[in-house]
Amino acid sequence: MTQSRRSFLGSVSNGLQGIALASLFSQDLYQSSDLLAAETHGSHAPRAHNLLPRQPHFRPRAKAVIQLMMQGGPSQVDLFDYKPELEKHHGKSILKEIAKDLSSPDSAGGLMKSPFKFQQHGDCGMWVSELLPHLSQHVDDIALVRSMFNTHQNHEPAIYKIQSGKTMPGLPTLGAWTVYGLGSENQNLPAYVVLANPDGRLPVNTVQNWQPGYLPPLYQGTRIRAKGTPILNLQSETEEPDAVVDLSRDLLGRLDRIHQSKRAGHLELDARIASYELAARMQISANEALDLSAETEETLSNYGIDEKETDNFGRQCLLARRLVESGVRFIQVHPPGQGWDNHSNIGSSLPSICKQTDKPVAGLLADLKQRGLMDDVLVVWGGEFGRLPIAQLRGDDPKKSGRDHGPAGFSVWFAGAGIKGGTMYGSTDEIGWRAAENRVSVADWHATILHLLGMDNEELFYESHGFKERLTGVEKVRVVKEIFA
Amino acid sequence: MMKFTSTIILTMLFVVGGQGLSADERRPLFEDDIQPILTKKCGQCHDDIVKSGGLDLTSMIGLKKGGESGESAIAETVDDSLLWIMIDGGGMPPEDEPPLTAAELATIKSWLAVGARAKGPTEVQITQHDVLPYLFARCVVCHGRHKQEGGLDLRTVASIRKGGKSGPAVVPGKPDESLILQKVLSKDMPPPKEIIRAGVRPMESAEIELLRKWIAQGAKAYDIQPSVQTAQPDPVVTDEDRQFWSFQPPQKAEIPEIAGANNPIDAFLLRKLRDNGLGYSKTAPKLKLIRRVCFDLTGLPPEWDDVQRFVNDESPDWYERMVDHYLDSPHYGEHLGRMWLDLAGYADSEGKRSADPIRKHSWRYRDYVIRAFNDDKPYDRFLTEQIAGDELYDFENAEEVTPEMMDALVATGFLRQAPDGTGSDIVDTVEERFEVVSDEIDVLGSSVLGLTLRCAQCHSHKYDPIPHRDYFRLVATFQGAYDVYDWLKPTSVANQSKQKNPTRRFLPYISTDIERSWETEKEKIEEQIADVKQKLADQITEQREAYLNQQLADLPADMEQSLREMLKTPQEKRSDEQQALAKQYEAQLTISDKDLLKQNSELAKLEKETDKQVKSLQKQMPDQPMIRALWDRGEPSPTWVFRRGEFNNPGELVGPGVLSVLTDGQTPFEPASLKDGTTGRRLAFAKWLTDAEHPLTSRVIVNRLWHHHFGRGIVESLSNFGNSGVPPTHPELLDWLAVSFVENGWSFKWLHKQIMTSAAYRQSSQIEEDLVEKDPANARFSRMPLKRVRAESVRDSLLAVSGELDTTQFGEPDTVTVRKDGLVTANKYDEGWRRSIYVRQRRKEIPTILENFDLPQMSPNCVERPNSMVAPQALHLLNNSLIRELSVSFAERVEADVPEDRDQQIERVYQLAFSRPPSDEERTLSHQTLDALTEKWKSVESDQESDRSPESRALANYCHVILNSAEFLFVD
Repeated sequence: MTQSRRSFLGSVSNGLQGIALASLFSQDLYQSSDLLAAETHGSHAPRAHNLLPRQPHFRPRAKAVIQLMMQGGPSQVDLFDYKPELEKHHGKSILKEIAKDLSSPDSAGGLMKSPFKFQQHGDCGMWVSELLPHLSQHVDDIALVRSMFNTHQNHEPAIYKIQSGKTMPGLPTLGAWTVYGLGSENQNLPAYVVLANPDGRLPVNTVQNWQPGYLPPLYQGTRIRAKGTPILNLQSETEEPDAVVDLSRDLLGRLDRIHQSKRAGHLELDARIASYELAARMQISANEALDLSAETEETLSNYGIDEKETDNFGRQCLLARRLVESGVRFIQVHPPGQGWDNHSNIGSSLPSICKQTDKPVAGLLADLKQRGLMDDVLVVWGGEFGRLPIAQLRGDDPKKSGRDHGPAGFSVWFAGAGIKGGTMYGSTDEIGWRAAENRVSVADWHATILHLLGMDNEELFYESHGFKERLTGVEKVRVVKEIFA
Repeated sequence: MMKFTSTIILTMLFVVGGQGLSADERRPLFEDDIQPILTKKCGQCHDDIVKSGGLDLTSMIGLKKGGESGESAIAETVDDSLLWIMIDGGGMPPEDEPPLTAAELATIKSWLAVGARAKGPTEVQITQHDVLPYLFARCVVCHGRHKQEGGLDLRTVASIRKGGKSGPAVVPGKPDESLILQKVLSKDMPPPKEIIRAGVRPMESAEIELLRKWIAQGAKAYDIQPSVQTAQPDPVVTDEDRQFWSFQPPQKAEIPEIAGANNPIDAFLLRKLRDNGLGYSKTAPKLKLIRRVCFDLTGLPPEWDDVQRFVNDESPDWYERMVDHYLDSPHYGEHLGRMWLDLAGYADSEGKRSADPIRKHSWRYRDYVIRAFNDDKPYDRFLTEQIAGDELYDFENAEEVTPEMMDALVATGFLRQAPDGTGSDIVDTVEERFEVVSDEIDVLGSSVLGLTLRCAQCHSHKYDPIPHRDYFRLVATFQGAYDVYDWLKPTSVANQSKQKNPTRRFLPYISTDIERSWETEKEKIEEQIADVKQKLADQITEQREAYLNQQLADLPADMEQSLREMLKTPQEKRSDEQQALAKQYEAQLTISDKDLLKQNSELAKLEKETDKQVKSLQKQMPDQPMIRALWDRGEPSPTWVFRRGEFNNPGELVGPGVLSVLTDGQTPFEPASLKDGTTGRRLAFAKWLTDAEHPLTSRVIVNRLWHHHFGRGIVESLSNFGNSGVPPTHPELLDWLAVSFVENGWSFKWLHKQIMTSAAYRQSSQIEEDLVEKDPANARFSRMPLKRVRAESVRDSLLAVSGELDTTQFGEPDTVTVRKDGLVTANKYDEGWRRSIYVRQRRKEIPTILENFDLPQMSPNCVERPNSMVAPQALHLLNNSLIRELSVSFAERVEADVPEDRDQQIERVYQLAFSRPPSDEERTLSHQTLDALTEKWKSVESDQESDRSPESRALANYCHVILNSAEFLFVD
């Protein structure tokens, strides 16, 4: 956002409905860049909590992250992890071996081959299933990790782990850590934005997906809606003439200044006034960033916007691009519903969610590339786990079969800043059940993302109760450098 | 079949002694070369008695067993051996101990390099306690206390040897012939299809190997007693450890003689201030004091009438009486109680799962806490009831449950607040249950003890002398009620549990008066239902009669009498003649309800209405009152240390106990059961905790109350009084308060008054210029802070000032509405909205305004509220429609008080919102803006139909500004 203060004030007083805090602009809160200079990493002086951009620990490869949070558990053996052995052993029972990974042992069937065809794509020859025709065209831009594993076979704990490192709620999420570590390039928008289901339903674990945990609340994600009011209470819910709004704001500013003038030295009063200023700027910036009308027909169509199945997710992906362009640091995108949770009818339910997301995701990659943003933006795609190679039965009809949750081995991918496209890293066992070679833990995944952002997972900590708390906890972690360019 | 990678291979326990070599060839040998070094240089801490970190380095077995992590100190290579990792580079011995010489290091290295050989046995003996933890985790749910499938009980060696219907479970010495091993190896046990329902998982291969070994070694029962504190001095935690300031009982220091200090608090504070060339800031003016005291004690702005009364009170003790007035307010308990609910982690839902099921009856605990504060329940009693209320009375056999007895049970809700997902079968495992238990220990540690107990969950505390062992003695203390192997499920998650009884955490011991009022209420509604139904029935009878008359009218009049007779006579008693009549006419004369309703639209309408009324009445039918409680179930499973905090990495068997560092280390922990069938462990714990001499209990709570008033603790780390916490700024003051608090009957109200009547508390919050440098963080309490009010107070004040606060207390929480875009708003009660503490605290549906102002997610509790200043707060207050509505109510309230006069209206707004009159400047500004606003509204009035005058609209805008202003959020 490069709008000058003058033009901003102009646009405020030019009758924008809602907040117009022109009279409160006695000073520019974020002019104090000396704060930054005073802070150096590694010093133990208590740091100020704000969202100003901060220096990373070392030269970053990525400046911003788009996390495509495919929660529900995308089935690796039907998408990325081609397993001919499953065809050979189709129908064979491995119940006793696999029992401890089962959520619903009552409906456990035998090994099940993928009902979908696989083909090699790109120069790298990556195997991708027929369900992702659009992404298949971008395999040379992505690094596929086929050996990720999680430690819980149920959604909630597994999602907690993906988001914040442990299988329990109440801890800061990856996005919160990122903006705690790096601040944001745009002070007029939230630093950490969440694009969740536009239909109003929250994803599994609801707001815990973007919580700040023990970090100060200003590092939490702000949910922006792709349709309707983007941020709660962003617009006034009552219509009033501009002049009334202006008069009210003017009085508020004056009364607050009187209040403040009698209480010199109380910095919290500055912070409160600043929060009102940010609120005013947010209204304008958010509306600008979220306005898709400036996009060309071609762009919209590349994201699948205005096609029934892809419209929702397409809008969210396009918004994600607009937001990173505006300098937002971390964006988390959730697909609608639990589309990846294919317990039954995988033959039709998996194609459906693929259809909804494939074109938008490919559109995003193409758009980022075309705009040169691939050098700055890291895109990560993945769920909380994958699915089991055995069938989950629904009555006697094998066509109704699906797959149960499979945390022991699944596929995720990275694209964009710092990533060596066309990489295929790690593998599962012959049946795609458990990560076998070059296993990547959730903590490894976190450390890798932090590393790409220029942060050391050991150095990124928060002192709480006299202890250094970290995203990666006390686990031994490994940055997966093999996927780096 | 195909090979599966990454099977865990057992790598522990066996080392070949190196037979067949001559003595010299086999050197270096443990006994000859290594043991002397380790005994001399390491034995002081790591022998078989002290076993610091669980590690004994003086024997080969000790080395093999390793420390708390359970990892052997000896590995296949030198570099992988923990022993070498610790001593190479000088990590051990610690700095102040004599180091290992180069020669010693070389010897150890060469010994490790050639296979760490020894003369004596190096094989660790497998005891029943290496095996039982797995049987408890995997099997006893079906083969234990409540069920013995196949007649088999796997809880003791004796019962294992005895076996079940198919014979003994083990054949000592012959693992392959042992049924238990066969069943486990074939993976028939635990039955793969039953595991989720039963909350168990199959045995891991390493566990099976242990079982095999134990059987091979004879399946013996060794005489192993749980580790508990004995009358012998504790070898692990020493008296030196106990010297740390907060582990010593508080001592009353002499009150310094300071001129002008009438309150000991001032004497202590002023001494330090004057030593540093400082003094107190000036006293705050009366109006500010009244507002400060009222907010501090009730969380609400003062009523203007009260303010005036106190302002006009010229008597010397007006201030004390003002403090008393607010201490006696019923709102006091609502405000201070909320502080306690934060510490407990109060919630009306289970959490962890997305479904977030509602915890019925949880609110009784909330009410208990509010009442306890209002009644000034002594803190020692308050704690005892909350920790062991179930042990205080014999509920099961009581003739009458008294309110006191019920209270004590309700109080145990304290340790039932942690997020808990185990209502869903798939996560109802030992691991998840232990998470709940450790959350509760965390709650206890952070709220009451001021210790970071969580750190000792996986290993001995790194900073405080809390051994891993002590953590698990605490677990054992609570195991009578919280047993990870014998679990009471919380509220089931819909469709995620096959267990039928979802309310097992409820007890029915309701006091007689509540039971009666419930029954009365129930009967009242039942009567109403009956009445409504009767009305319909009467109508139907009437209409049926009318129908009959109509039909009869079409028949010969002389038949009427006999036909009516026939209809009245029950079928089986009818005469032949009547039967003939019936055959011919009955169908014609009678009509079914259904047809009657079809014919008669009035009646059909009534039937529909009745149905609706009945349903709505049934909805009003009160739930049977129950208590959500924690209670001792009499037969706790054994407690093993979980190495690294992992249930499947069990270590030493321990018994109940408390933290050694907070005792003399030589007094056994004696469970104190007052009734049959309970362990009495928690009651003994509560007794220990509430001992007048306890080093932490009183200190931690007086510090918390101090923080409540001063915005900063004497110990800044409110929940960490340990080595890594912040030392007290005024240790003598802290101790004086702690001891006096106990001497004054652990009375909160005494403590409030003591603090609030100090000159320190009455200081202004103005920051004098010299203080910015000399006391920048106010660590010397040279002024009062400017405090942003808490989330609840923001909302409650908005309601109170606008006249929309319904002050009804207690009972079922108020529901919320979740708008499609995610905005959560509490629903109206009766005459407005109730205080925020009465709004349902469902974890996933926290009212947005409270969340914006930092109402925390309880995970598991909140020890200190954050105080953020973020844009969503501004957006909410500026744009939210409910705040607008409240502004209108505020304006209407003002207009009702002073209908015409603008000046008086402005005055009134200031009185209600800020407890003061406006200054001249503010008055002028307010006038100007109100005039301009009125003019504006006049000009737009023409094209807008409205029943509100321009003056009223302007006033509402003005009120909205006032509710958005800084002064509304901050208290001086």
